Amino acid sequence: MNKELEHSFVEQLQKHQNIVHKVCRLYTNNADAHNDLFQEITIQLWRAYPKFRGDSKFSTWMYRVGLNTAITLYRKSKRRINTQEFDTVEFKIKAEEYDDTEEQQLKLLYQAVHQLNDIEKALVFLYLEDKDYREISATLGISEVNARVKMNRVKKKLKTILNP
Amino acid sequence: MDELDLLKKDWNSGSTEFKSYSDSDIYPMLHKKSSSIVKTLFYISIAELVFWLLASILPYFLSSNFREKLETSYENPLFLGLSIFSYVVILIFIYLLFRSYKSISTTDNAKRLMESILKTRKVIKYYVAFNLFMIFISIPLSLYFEYNENPEFHQQIVEFSTNQMLVLYGFVVVVAGVFLVLLWLFYRLIYGVLLKRLNRNYDELKKLEV
Repeated sequence: MNKELEHSFVEQLQKHQNIVHKVCRLYTNNADAHNDLFQEITIQLWRAYPKFRGDSKFSTWMYRVGLNTAITLYRKSKRRINTQEFDTVEFKIKAEEYDDTEEQQLKLLYQAVHQLNDIEKALVFLYLEDKDYREISATLGISEVNARVKMNRVKKKLKTILNP
Repeated sequence: MDELDLLKKDWNSGSTEFKSYSDSDIYPMLHKKSSSIVKTLFYISIAELVFWLLASILPYFLSSNFREKLETSYENPLFLGLSIFSYVVILIFIYLLFRSYKSISTTDNAKRLMESILKTRKVIKYYVAFNLFMIFISIPLSLYFEYNENPEFHQQIVEFSTNQMLVLYGFVVVVAGVFLVLLWLFYRLIYGVLLKRLNRNYDELKKLEV
């Protein structure tokens, strides 16, 4: 029974792992931290899995547990400190290839998003994942109106970071 | 075009490729140890329960002198009542702690999850406050008990001059104060470090609701 459960869980997680990777992408700065957070989210998902009833989609359920882990449960590990940061590595290569304005803009955008606080990142994440305000409000535990207000503020904040 | 829409286009275009884990990568992950804040909090609360229990039980086993004194003090209904009361309270705390841990669910919304963790931390805080309170009432109570039951001690106190009494009071107050400040710093340190981020995020969510 337990083996069966494990099997079905791993199968689903494997299929939807990109959601977890994307959460890690927003909340961490380097590969070690990324893997660390991925590991912790996996543990939390697995622990909560017996209670997952399938009345919501597996992916929807993953958003909630994944974000909760990143925002609340995860304790940053010390390993993270001395490793090189993602963005610099990734974008250095690209910048050498060609100096496309959209590419540049994206680089700055990702950097700006990384400067947001945890809650703001969660809003951005759900927005990027095309979630409506009803789902955003249900995931974070705030009202729909407040989710909308906060989202507008985040957009403004991003603009300010980009054009100081 | 909105900045976020540009980002969204890139986000969903699959340009951010990640290392894809296979089934055999994921299986071992399920059985690794979690380093979540709830787990740490759980260990701390167990340590605190054990610490305060040991603090009240150990002297009984280590010192026969203390044991004798304690046994005679139980003849006093006030002491007996207090001891029973404190054990009942410990049981209640264990129950409350257990219940609040059970209520922490990763599938709740973010705000409720934070609230249930903060509530658990509050239970621990009350438990510690209760223990400190018990220590503070038991110091004057045992002095009073000593004064009534121990003729030598009684005689000493009676012979004290006013100045000596003042020094004694001062000494007790200073020791109690230092003890309190140290404990307070200790708690600020553990919970401050552990819950700093959680508190910040919770405040951020709460600010929205005003």
